[in-house]
Amino acid sequence: MAQRTEAASGLQGRSAMPHRLLLVDDETPILFAMANYFRAKGYVVDAAREREEAEALLTNVSYAAIIVDLRMTAVHGADGLEVVVYARERCPSARIIVLTAYGSPAAEAEARARGADAFLHKPQPLADLAQLLEALLGKHES
Amino acid sequence: MSSSPALDAILAPGGLQVAFQPIVEVRGQARHIHSLECLIRGPRGTNMEPPAVLFEYVRRKREETALDRACVASALKAASGLPAEVPLSLNVHAATLERDPEFVLYLTDEAAADAIAPGRLTVEIVEHAPLWSGPAFREALSALRDIGVGIALDDIGLGQSNYRMMIDCKPDYFKVDGYLVRGCRADFYRMAVLESVASLARRFGARVVAEGVEEEDDLAALVAVGVDLFQGHVLYPPLTLEALKESGILPRLDATA
Repeated sequence: MAQRTEAASGLQGRSAMPHRLLLVDDETPILFAMANYFRAKGYVVDAAREREEAEALLTNVSYAAIIVDLRMTAVHGADGLEVVVYARERCPSARIIVLTAYGSPAAEAEARARGADAFLHKPQPLADLAQLLEALLGKHES
Repeated sequence: MSSSPALDAILAPGGLQVAFQPIVEVRGQARHIHSLECLIRGPRGTNMEPPAVLFEYVRRKREETALDRACVASALKAASGLPAEVPLSLNVHAATLERDPEFVLYLTDEAAADAIAPGRLTVEIVEHAPLWSGPAFREALSALRDIGVGIALDDIGLGQSNYRMMIDCKPDYFKVDGYLVRGCRADFYRMAVLESVASLARRFGARVVAEGVEEEDDLAALVAVGVDLFQGHVLYPPLTLEALKESGILPRLDATA
């Protein structure tokens, strides 16, 4: 496997064009920390704090990957799932990772049935998340 | 106060950016600025800056009315720096005219605050659908006409801009989308549609504005079927107020600055 620098891991293999990543989480500190981390790794990052913002971006922008918090509001507990469904519809080839602090086998099964490629429990070290994302994107490219 | 940070930023004073795109009248060899369309972008440096994302987001939040009020306020404030005789067009969602019974009053008050006569204004109705063409919608159109505001119907020939909407709105302007305009010079079917739209507009006593004009050949083809108002990059792109002032395309701009 070709060696990659830490900073270049957001780049696609052959073309060196950066992957575009959408992050969706209603907790601003978490969202900003993830955005800064993945930008430093070479990804082009859009960060959305609510379902409608994510969906407006997905309507107009093509993403290589989406990382979405499962439960974003107290009222609409399934907002994250709706983002997964819409993301799968708008970006059929994107990799979708669901993060949640409220995980259960049933929740994971439902997320995967709706189109998620991975289901992780919070808190998740960013390095581990990045490694998973790279693996999913690499698997897709090959 | 709304329930989301993105919407708060959009609706905050100064949150929206305004640009003006000239609509040009072509008569023979002469070209004159007919009016300016006020175009909106979201807060600079945010996800909402591109208009497509901004309007999609607001539509999903069902906050078209709040956005339209913010757009009107921002556009009229920016336009207050323009020469008094320049007509302006403002985009307004059909949903706003249906759902906001105070919108026409709001528009009147904002125009007065910026010393802009309502007779200078045209409201371009966007994203119309049968859902938004009930009695309240028709009353709003009537109220706009009563104060001298013109009516334009956007996206003629596409989506919900059907014959029913034309009859309900009886617009002063038919705005033909760039999809029909681009490449029309060499497209028999596009020209057939454009010819019929131009003919229909004449029967309505309305004028046609061709949007998205990027080639002089297309402009010439449209002139040949009777279209005399044009908007697009072959003429002028959207310009900030500052760029308008520097361009010199509007008379007496320096005198009123």
